[in-house]
Parts: sequence; structure tokens; C-alpha cells
Amino acid sequence: MLRNVFLKTLSETRRALVWWSLGLIGMAAMMISVYPTVRDNPDLNKMVEDYPDALKAFMAFGGDLDYVSGAGYLGSELFSFMVPLLLLVAAIGAGARATAGEEERGTLDLLLANPLSRRRLVVEKLGALAGEIALLAIVLWLSLLVGVEIVGMDVSAAHLAAATTSAALLALAFGALALLVGAASGRRGVATGVAAATAVAAYLVNSLAALVDFLEPVKQSSPFYHYVASDPLHEGLALEHVVFLVALALVAAGLAAVAFDRRDLAA
Amino acid sequence: MTAVVRVDKLTKFYGRDRGVVDLDFEVGAGEVFGFLGPNGAGKTTTIRLMLDLIRPTRGRIELFGADPRRDVGVRGRVGYLPGDLRLYERLTAGELFTYFAHLRGLAGLGAAPQLAERLELALDRPIRTLSKGNRQKVGLVQAFMHRPDLLVLDEPTAGLDPLIQQIFYELVAEAKSEGATVFLSSHVLPEVQHVADRVALIRDGTLVLLAGVEALRARALARVAVTFATPPPAAAFADLSGVRELERHGHTVVFSLEGDADTLVKALARHRVIALDSHEADLEDIFISLYRGEETRDAA
Repeated sequence: MLRNVFLKTLSETRRALVWWSLGLIGMAAMMISVYPTVRDNPDLNKMVEDYPDALKAFMAFGGDLDYVSGAGYLGSELFSFMVPLLLLVAAIGAGARATAGEEERGTLDLLLANPLSRRRLVVEKLGALAGEIALLAIVLWLSLLVGVEIVGMDVSAAHLAAATTSAALLALAFGALALLVGAASGRRGVATGVAAATAVAAYLVNSLAALVDFLEPVKQSSPFYHYVASDPLHEGLALEHVVFLVALALVAAGLAAVAFDRRDLAA
Repeated sequence: MTAVVRVDKLTKFYGRDRGVVDLDFEVGAGEVFGFLGPNGAGKTTTIRLMLDLIRPTRGRIELFGADPRRDVGVRGRVGYLPGDLRLYERLTAGELFTYFAHLRGLAGLGAAPQLAERLELALDRPIRTLSKGNRQKVGLVQAFMHRPDLLVLDEPTAGLDPLIQQIFYELVAEAKSEGATVFLSSHVLPEVQHVADRVALIRDGTLVLLAGVEALRARALARVAVTFATPPPAAAFADLSGVRELERHGHTVVFSLEGDADTLVKALARHRVIALDSHEADLEDIFISLYRGEETRDAA
């Protein structure tokens, strides 16, 4: 696991990854175990129908709010908020740690005295970030798969994979943003703060766009829009939205490499 | 002799704060180069510029004839020990050496196991549990393990006990005998004196002296402390050629002596001398006298 920066960074997070995984599994198990009660109460949909539009906008995951179907339930309970929240926290943490964490701890001096270019370091750290998110997404997908099978929900493995992938790409984009701010500033706290604040703003822009007219034209700039736009739990992924999220991550990482390469590193 | 390190008008400002100004020097292949100065003089700035961790405001650096910024490969030929050594706390020493061996493209662990054995460093303990001295050993082993052509060592003996310091000097001597170049920074002058061929003195970011160790020693051959029965007048020894009054506390006056002792002895004969102590000057004395000289010149 010490062959290169990518593998070392991944292996350093193995303990945290176990805890994250347990959390995701627990969350999936808990939400799915409640589903049979919801399914047996079709009246819930009527109740939800009377919710204010604002609340519905926050609860829905793509498409219309439908609380009783398997896909609708998972969308509202997991993918509209909790899944992106957890994956974003993990990704922003990893992105902020990537170079800024090492710079603040002072290990960067020794590391970069090796024949390793700064650009290469950014690429390997991005790889580790992506690997970490991919592992968590796979764990989430598998636990949803098992839960859906046990409870007998009408959601296909492919649609679960689509929703999980979309959430992972969303997280990757914000993780890369944290990486960029950390690479440019050398400060982990700044990286975490800027990426988290941007994520909150992007989330609000997309969720409120249904209610506030002036946000409607700008909602397509929000990564959260591209996360939900294809309605992954019903329709799968759409190339344009995947491309948007991946491009965002790559642009941020590219800028991170350039910014990091030009700076004086803190002693 | 080809230059392994070439520094040309090297200047670094941090915003408006001075790092180093117009440094010029070369270090030849196989040379042990002592880089001396008090804390804050710019030693670490110079070293971090050499390793491309920070970028010059003006001027150039070449390592092995290449720009360390453009040619990452030259860093594979460098062994670096930072002055402020920060290690991966969760790794063991052995894991750190494995990691760096991979990054440097070594087949195995290089010379790390033998070095660790010589320095009595345990490879299987997490670095966070190690004492300061043992951490410094980790730093030394990773700097020497790939048998680099250039060693850049920032305050290498800090925290080492005297026995281990001795081993360190042996390591430097062995590296030199194998043709390596050594760039050694220190503010502890007598330490560099043992091993250096040439010495640069840096102060307030500028190079104040660059000389061979022998030449430096010849510059101030002796240091003589004389204790008088009654303190002599302040200007009593002002005009003697080759004699310089360094310091004075109570009845004791310390002189530096260039050339033979005759002038001083004749001058002393006019006073009642209680004790006389003379020894060969070390770099510390040269350093101090040089600084004093600067100060008197600044004051004039």
C-alpha cells in the first residue's frame, strides 16, 4: 500500500472508510426497514400531497414527489438529502486533506523532495479522492440492493446504481473543489469552508428554483440540478448531466494542479 | 570541477520581508560545503529554494546543471533533511523508508536497513512514539538511503546525542569518499568545521564570507585571553598591527591574533599580567570577529 501517493493516501483512510461504510449501511437498513409500513399506508401519499410546494421541492428526488412507491420512497428519504450530504462530507474532507492537510502538517516538504512533480501529486490525490468516494458508493449500492431485495421494493439494481453514481459524481465535484481551494491556499480549513458553503448555496439554488422565479434560469449552474435532473431512480443516468459533473471535477482538479504548481509551499 | 549546485543572484522576498538577497555561490562535485549563519539568516530559505519548494523572486538555481523546477528528476539525486522535520506520524520508520524507496524508484530499501542498524533505529515502531533524537535518525536515514549524489542537510545534528553525531560525521565522510556532494547548514559552527571543505557565512540574507576552512583558520590564528592586575585603558591596544581586541569583561581582555605573537607580548609587557590563555581560533571566533567588524563598520 506504500507503492505510490495514490495507494498510500487511500490506505491512510481505511479506518475512516470502515466507519463511513457502517454509517451508510446503517442508514440504508434503517430507512428500508421502515418502508413496509409506508407501503401499507397509501394514505401517506395523500398527506404528502397537501404539503406546501416548498417542502415537496426539498423532499423530491427528480420527478414528482411520490412517497409510496419504492423508488419514490428511496428518493425522498435517502437520495434527496442524506446520501448527498454524507458523500459530500466525506469528499470535501478528503479533498481538503489532499494537499492542504499535508502542507499544514508539514510533511509536504519531505514528500516533494522526492522526484515527484506537484502536478503528479495533485493527480494522485484526486485519484485517491475518487477511489474513496467510489468505495463508499459501492458499499451504499450493495446495502441498498440487499435491503430492496429483502423488503421487496420495486427498484432495479441499475436504477439504484444510477442514483448512487450520480451522488458519487456530485460528491466528486465538490471534493475536487475542496482540493482546488486547498491546493491554492494551503489551508485545510479554508478549503473545507469554501467547498461546504458552495455546496449549501448550490443545493438551495436548485431546491428553491421551483418556487422562486428568478432562480429558475440559474438552476442549471447548480451541480445539484445535474445530480437529480435525469430522475435516476426511474430513468437512469443521462449523458449530459454525467458529463457536466465529471467536467466540473476535472476542471477543478486541473486548476488545482496549476495553482499548486505555481505557489510557494508553506514551511 | 563541475558545479553540482550553482546559485546565481538568488533573491527571495516574502512579500516585503527579506528572505535572501543576491546570493552567489557554487558547490563543486565531491565538496562538503558548510552553510553557516544564525537563526533567521536565510539558511532554510536558501535550501527550500534549492529543492523548489519555494520559488526565487529573482536569480537562478541549478542542480547538476538543471533547473530543479523544470527537471523533477534531479530531486531523485538529492537527499534532503529538512530543518523542521515533520514525518508521517502513523507510519513506522520502516514503512516511511518503503514509501520513499518506491517514490525514488529504488529496487529494495537501498541502504536504509544498514543505516538504521548503525544508528540503532527501530524500524517497526510508529514514528509518533519516537523521541526527537530517533525522529532525527529517521530523517537522516531517508536522506542517505538512496545514496544520493547531493546531500542537502539543514541543521542535521539537532537533537542527536554525541555518539550518534559521531556516526553522522562518519556518514558524511563516507558519502564524500564515494564522490557525493554535501551541503550542510548549521548555526553550530564547530560541527561544520570537522567536515567542511569550504564555508559560507550568511547573515541577514546576504553572503558575508565564502572561504576554505583552512583559509578561515589562517585568518585568525589564535585567540588570547589576558587577565590584568588592573584593567588597561580602553585604547591601550588599539594600534597594534595583527592584534584585535575582541571583548573585555572586568580584568580580562580577549584578543584575536594574526601572524606572530611578538607585537602583543611586547605591548603586554608594559602591564602586570596575571594570567594568559591562548588557543587556536575556531570558526565561532572568526564568526564573532567578523560580525563585530560589520557592526563597527555599520556604526562608523
